[in-house]
Amino acid sequence: MKIKARTIFCLLLCWFPASVGFSQAFGTGNHTVTVQILPVTDIRIIGGGVNLTVAAADVVAGQATMIATDQSSQLQWATNSSAQKITVSTNLATPRFALVLQAVNPSAGSASPEVALSMSPTNLIVGIGRSAGTCTLRYTGIADAAQGTGTDNHVITFTVQAE
Amino acid sequence: MTRLPVFLLLLLIACPARQNAHSQVIVLGGDLLLQVAAPALPQDPLSVISTAASLQWNRQNVVQKITVSTSCPGQRFSLKVFALNASEGVAAPEVTLTNGMPDVDFITNCPRMGAKVNTAILRYTASATFSQGNSTEVGNDTHIVTYTILEQ
Repeated sequence: MKIKARTIFCLLLCWFPASVGFSQAFGTGNHTVTVQILPVTDIRIIGGGVNLTVAAADVVAGQATMIATDQSSQLQWATNSSAQKITVSTNLATPRFALVLQAVNPSAGSASPEVALSMSPTNLIVGIGRSAGTCTLRYTGIADAAQGTGTDNHVITFTVQAE
Repeated sequence: MTRLPVFLLLLLIACPARQNAHSQVIVLGGDLLLQVAAPALPQDPLSVISTAASLQWNRQNVVQKITVSTSCPGQRFSLKVFALNASEGVAAPEVTLTNGMPDVDFITNCPRMGAKVNTAILRYTASATFSQGNSTEVGNDTHIVTYTILEQ
């Protein structure tokens, strides 16, 4: 009888794991998966070319300075690198008239005050960090009556770069 | 007569070891590198998909399932996996792999009858938002992804 009791005990041991919900594992397999994110930067202008025309309606009697503004275009950028800023420059070495630009309501970073465009890259938005964002571009063309008439053609370049 | 309980005890101890000694589930295709590189405005997050690896497992004599888990200390980016075209069983919805996660069902209801060897394509999707940075600055994520086949 003593032997039978031991046998029953051992059988219970065998039965116990299944009865309390243990699932038998048959094997495992594994591999290594490496995720690598490369530095990515993109910048785009939404809205196409901009025409600033000073016409008779922009002239105020008694004032020599005439102004035309445009906010029809937007800047869109994305970068996953830290400590980044956006600069702006023009290809026109000797413009007849002044052209200034300001980034309005940037979704990341801080906009500089109105930037007088030149061939030297100038900060437009600083501190964009790692972000995907947009802003409105507000261009202002300024002409004095003494400068006469004419046309300036600018090619404006925006660059995301390290601060 | 006294040997019978001893034999049963030895059998109890030996059985799990014998099961683990066989490779019942293996990953084909080796280690993977998921590299996110292309500029993708206005897409955020950036993502990349790989179907280069697959899973192969042997049918057992019980209804079985496969679970998945990962170890990736200091994980920064997102990684998901889905069993594509599983030859047996039911693929779970896409599983998000997170460091230290418990085993999560990956393929369930694999029948005890049918093909002896079964397969599924491992579809991995890696993604990162711009705000999460890049590997040059914060390093790669290296996952050790483990698949386990067990009785369901």
